[in-house]
Amino acid sequence: MEAGTLSPSRELTPAERLREAANRHPALAALAFVALVVVVLIATKGLHDVAQRGLNGLSLGAIYALGAVGLTLVYGILRLVNFAHGDFLTFGAYMAYLVNVTWGLPLVVAVFWAMATTAVLGIFLEKVMWGPMRARGAGMLQLLLMAIGLALVIRYVIQFIWSTELRQLDVNRTDTVEFLGLVIGRTNLIVIVVGFAVLVATGLMLRYALLGKRMRALSDNLDLAETSGIDTSRVILWTWVFAAGFAGLAGVLAGAITQLQPELGFELLLPIFAAVVLGGIGNAFGALAGGIVLGLVIEWSTLLIEPRWKTAIGFIVLILVLIIRPQGIFGRAKAI
Amino acid sequence: MLELLTTPPVAVTFESFTSVDFWTSVGILAGIYTIFTLGLQLNVGFTGIFNFGQAAFMAIGAYSMAILVTEANMSFWLSLPISILIAIAFGLIVGLPSLRLRTDYFAIATIAAAEAIRLFALNARELTGGAQGKFGFGDDWDSVSDTIEGWIVDIGWPDVPTLFPLFLVVWAVALALMPVLTRVQGTPWGRVLRAIREDEDAARALGKNAFAYKLQSLAIAATLGAVAGFFLALNLKFVVPEEFLPLVTFIGYACLILGGLASYWGVAVGSVILWTVLEGLRFLDLPLSETRITALRFMILGLVLIGLMAFRPQGMFGKREEMVLGD
Amino acid sequence: MTDAATPASGAPPARNGTIFEADGVVKRFGGIRAVDGASLGVREGSITALIGPNGAGKTTFFNVITGFYRPDSGRAAFAGREVLGRPPYAIARLGMVRTFQITKALARMPVIDNMMLGAPDQPGERLLNVIFRPGASRRREAEVREQAMELLEIFNLTKLADEYAGTLSGGQRKLLELARALMTRPRFLLLDEPMAGINPTLGRRLLDHMQRLRAGEGVTFLFIEHDMEVVMNHSDRVIVMAEGRVIADGEPHEVRRNQAVIDAYLGSGTVTETAPGVPAGGEDARGS
Repeated sequence: MEAGTLSPSRELTPAERLREAANRHPALAALAFVALVVVVLIATKGLHDVAQRGLNGLSLGAIYALGAVGLTLVYGILRLVNFAHGDFLTFGAYMAYLVNVTWGLPLVVAVFWAMATTAVLGIFLEKVMWGPMRARGAGMLQLLLMAIGLALVIRYVIQFIWSTELRQLDVNRTDTVEFLGLVIGRTNLIVIVVGFAVLVATGLMLRYALLGKRMRALSDNLDLAETSGIDTSRVILWTWVFAAGFAGLAGVLAGAITQLQPELGFELLLPIFAAVVLGGIGNAFGALAGGIVLGLVIEWSTLLIEPRWKTAIGFIVLILVLIIRPQGIFGRAKAI
Repeated sequence: MLELLTTPPVAVTFESFTSVDFWTSVGILAGIYTIFTLGLQLNVGFTGIFNFGQAAFMAIGAYSMAILVTEANMSFWLSLPISILIAIAFGLIVGLPSLRLRTDYFAIATIAAAEAIRLFALNARELTGGAQGKFGFGDDWDSVSDTIEGWIVDIGWPDVPTLFPLFLVVWAVALALMPVLTRVQGTPWGRVLRAIREDEDAARALGKNAFAYKLQSLAIAATLGAVAGFFLALNLKFVVPEEFLPLVTFIGYACLILGGLASYWGVAVGSVILWTVLEGLRFLDLPLSETRITALRFMILGLVLIGLMAFRPQGMFGKREEMVLGD
Repeated sequence: MTDAATPASGAPPARNGTIFEADGVVKRFGGIRAVDGASLGVREGSITALIGPNGAGKTTFFNVITGFYRPDSGRAAFAGREVLGRPPYAIARLGMVRTFQITKALARMPVIDNMMLGAPDQPGERLLNVIFRPGASRRREAEVREQAMELLEIFNLTKLADEYAGTLSGGQRKLLELARALMTRPRFLLLDEPMAGINPTLGRRLLDHMQRLRAGEGVTFLFIEHDMEVVMNHSDRVIVMAEGRVIADGEPHEVRRNQAVIDAYLGSGTVTETAPGVPAGGEDARGS
């Protein structure tokens, strides 16, 4: 080989070296970034405000995380982001309303009922719609539009039955709890406790239980899971049970701290997308982390901007992630 | 809910179907959505990019025109090409970071962008009028419309509906656009787009800058969306954020799929059929409240989408292989 | 090389006869180094084979140097210009064109459209020209169509010109892929397993055409191949990759006897067949 026509190599600049390091340890980089933001906020706005909004952020984050985990789990099955997922949240919320308000039963019963019925809905749709379409080799556009159609049907059936009137679950909205100088609504606190309990249990299940490992394998790569001998049809059904069930729970929790209307779930869908993409699509732990981080970021943003622009934060996060690192924090980079 | 089960069945009236006003109204909506969906056909059917933010371009076209006319005191006719340029600029802003993403991520990104724009319109009250929106931009158009109305009355139709001139102009534009787009589709440029739809890497390996072509496709869709926005604004006489929900884009997709991904002419057929159904449902004298009727309309829209995808994804004029082998 | 045969790209002639060099190219996927510091050079006008056991990184290497994968480090230059890290369309426009192992026939377009797509310098492919200079586009289309039909003739695909490419058989698609690449008037053609799935007669035609192009227009070929008969008897030079690196580079008969090469193939469990009558995988005891 002749002497090169190639130009000599050059050293990486410090900025590029930092970028390289961040790319190799994305979770740490994200954590470092969040810590930095928190420190700056505390320094400028004071610990009390940051902690107070942080609490609100945790309840919002728990809802996002529950929705995001389900969405990312079914991603592996459907191979696309399920547009109808938001309406599972709405469905859960209204099922809870049915039990809690219309039938007058305690909220606890309503929560279980909501989770159970949403899980059943998820299984039903898998059997009747997603399974057959997958078997036929349906393309992405087909599935995407089907999901959209489904979203419309669920939302508007709910609207047909319950109209657009704002409704509320029978929860205590006025009582507050105080600790460490912070104030939080009682229902909000319950949302945080319930949400995090379920999330922690889910995290443990996903990490250590056989079913959990299989679900993760599936959501990451369905084909690979199938060739490795897992009984995918059973795991698929269980995945829908969890995904839909959690969505239903998220819907109830959301309904508990706000109000019920048919758009409830769809409005939460985009922040949930943002959480999923932030965490890395197909990665359940990423979805958990992404949801909580997003909730915190949105609530902390109110320290800096007017509350009515809060919803914009979700979009900004989504767009930034898609631009800077589309595979999210925990996802794998792909070829160009 | 129980009340619905105990109400006796009622005779449904079809009176509205004989009314000229009804058909004019349906015709205008179908025409607006034809122009809107031509952009989707270019993007989805011929370039393979799943643009789910077309409602945003409609919003930008409508709002730009309204703001320029009412705030900047610009002539209505001048505001049109400038609004188109603004829409194209937004198309580039949205497309530059998002077109290199995978197909379903691009769909999410475009919906997100569209919602961001709608929420901006809702909250930036000083500029856009917030929830109340913008109005009072239609004077120049009204005089044109009156003139046309005068001509029609002279020809011999004294009861012509006020909106009829708008109907004529919308369809004149739509019918002019379809052969132009079809022609452009048959050029070497159109061939590159189709290659990108088929296999982007193959097109790149042959020296085609796929990204640039996708950007051009999106920019043209933005133009078409903006034009549809103009007509929407003139039809309603006001521009509000509520008119640009993601639902609008979903309706566009229903029109698109109904006609099939194969031709621009099919888009017109799909739009007419869909809007006849959607508006028809509104005018049937059903014993239901307005929210219920709205719910019914869009429930049916959802079922149409599901049904088409399950049983006839190629729509009326497409080929089955095109959809099923998709992706 | 005569003036009449100047390739369309117009890039300057290479120095010292080397049209392409790669130095220390690395591509990682997660923890795996699929290409682990590959360095090689290709002489202009040569027909060079790139061989190696499965998993050696040959196709990954192709993908990196043609711009389809982002490299982790290294350098590569084509005709004196840096190409590593440039986008694939830019590299193709310089005259360095590749085909794919799994053919990318544009299935829902007719064969003739597939072909005409390859032609460079078609003004009608630019939107502004479509609007303002339709005549120029039409004229070039006619030229391009003629060239396309000529090439289809050579590859025996004329009858299928108007069929959708998706209806072609595997072997026909391979031919279409090659014919389409040739439409781009390349200076350097990288073929990923061009012979796979093609019957011997047609394969012979392909090889003859490659020789003609090399002799007439000075086109350089680098092809990945597993068929040892083709490699040994139809290439000027053989480059061997294993575990992401280049382990041998020389004339076919030299490489065949290289111990490192033999080890690499034996180690991966693949047996090489060098020519009829020669014992597989081992040195010819009689020497040659």
